[in-house]
Amino acid sequence: MTTPLKIDARAEGKETAVLSLAGEVDVANAAQVRDSALKLISSGVKRLVVDLNATEYMDSTGLGMLVGLLKRMRESGGDVLIAVARPRVKRLFEITGLIQVFRIYDDAAAALKEVRG
Amino acid sequence: MKTSTPDQVEIRIPRRAEFVRVARMAACALASQLDFTYDLIKDVELAVGEACANAVEHVCDEESNEIIVRFSIDPTQLQVEVLDRGQGFDPQGAAKVGSGSIDDWDDPGGLGLVVIREVMDELTVECDPTSGTCVRMVKHRSR
Repeated sequence: MTTPLKIDARAEGKETAVLSLAGEVDVANAAQVRDSALKLISSGVKRLVVDLNATEYMDSTGLGMLVGLLKRMRESGGDVLIAVARPRVKRLFEITGLIQVFRIYDDAAAALKEVRG
Repeated sequence: MKTSTPDQVEIRIPRRAEFVRVARMAACALASQLDFTYDLIKDVELAVGEACANAVEHVCDEESNEIIVRFSIDPTQLQVEVLDRGQGFDPQGAAKVGSGSIDDWDDPGGLGLVVIREVMDELTVECDPTSGTCVRMVKHRSR
């Protein structure tokens, strides 16, 4: 069975937020994730941590959506950081070369620690 | 299930994003009946999902509203064909990956092809302006 997507957004200070994605991110719902992220960005978030450690499945549509968010954030001086340790999801970043593009951490806590310096 | 003539299963799904999961589940169910490990089953699922997602996103014939997913099983391999009336994958997609700079990622649309190449043993893509696209993927069975 497939698992419905659950999106959870939480603020971590004034300009930082964590977007946790549980379940499946695919062609059917990647736009929903993008819209949630854009809502955070329009509220003033400059550093967005996308937590994929509860993501059971992701396809290249999800990756493309994350690339779009990263471009948008870096153009305005912000960043998108990825928290992922699940081998099957992390492998997608390795296969596509995106592991060199994103700042990737094992979990959200490690990403937030980096953001806070 | 081991016969000299391939066993075939064919499903038709509406060309809509929410139905891609149906094709993925069928891929999982079929691969689970073969001698594939869990990781190989998930590879087949991912490849079928990518091919179907591409068919949803790149259709060029608005009159065509379905995607055909055809599984052929023989003692040596599982072959999956995903057929649609779209323009298919960008054959240059593979060239778009590998750069460490976000500035080089103008269009991440070729990622699906890169993923399928990695997780399947064989991949061919036939694109025809009139008949559409056939993505043919093979996963070898253990010998």
